[in-house]
Amino acid sequence: MARKTRQVETRLTAEYIKQYYSEFPSILGQPLGVVPTSLMEQEGYQRALGIMRPFRPEADALVILPRHLLLIEAKVWHVINGLAKLPMYKSLVPVTPELREYMPREVLMELVVGWTSPNLEIMARDHGIAVKVFCPDWLTKVVQGMHHYWTKEYREERERKLGLREYFGVE
Amino acid sequence: MVLENIVKLEDGIPAKLHFWDHRIERRTITDAATGAPTIRQVLVLEVDTLNDRAVAARLSTMASKLADKFSAYLPDKSYRNYDFVITQRGEDFRRSWSVKAIPRPK
Repeated sequence: MARKTRQVETRLTAEYIKQYYSEFPSILGQPLGVVPTSLMEQEGYQRALGIMRPFRPEADALVILPRHLLLIEAKVWHVINGLAKLPMYKSLVPVTPELREYMPREVLMELVVGWTSPNLEIMARDHGIAVKVFCPDWLTKVVQGMHHYWTKEYREERERKLGLREYFGVE
Repeated sequence: MVLENIVKLEDGIPAKLHFWDHRIERRTITDAATGAPTIRQVLVLEVDTLNDRAVAARLSTMASKLADKFSAYLPDKSYRNYDFVITQRGEDFRRSWSVKAIPRPK
């Protein structure tokens, strides 16, 4: 079956960090949360991290600033999900063994999106999250598509493309 | 770990690399699910330092989950200004990578 979505959020995160935080160390795909001490003692540090990997959430990115750690989630489609995740992830930063060397630092949160709305801004402000609109040229088309997603014309065009992809057996 | 001139990432073991060049190749591979030949794009990164040791090797990946993490650095080859610590975890489609970019002193 042809794939219906595009994987763009990793690219969006990488480009955002390069544009605004290129002089600081950054981590793309940072697992968060505790790893039981007993497991570390039994299996060793690296192996314990590996065993726990499926059970730990992963932040899109973390930037190591001189006095802060900046948690970043980038979202194109389900922006509210990104917003909801950030405060949860923040609570896990101080107990994450891989980040122990950077503590204590205050944790900041940024939600990177291709577009924003007044409601998103209100919710973000209430939870101490900065909303950053970052829309490189290649993302503009994706965002436009999203806003026209339920129009008749876009739906027909999407079905035509999916049909062709299915017919030719391409992803 | 370097096998001949290929960097092989080991599960759970962070590897620190510096890249000096890259290219995107098209390779014909056998699709594991269908058994049919299929063309895939491969990101090939030329490695000159591995774990602070000089090497002449390359790291190749077909995984967009990993390649996308370097996407911002490819057009201007600005990866030359960073060391990257890559930690690979998991198997097959559940494999994931954590990539730490550390700016090199100017």
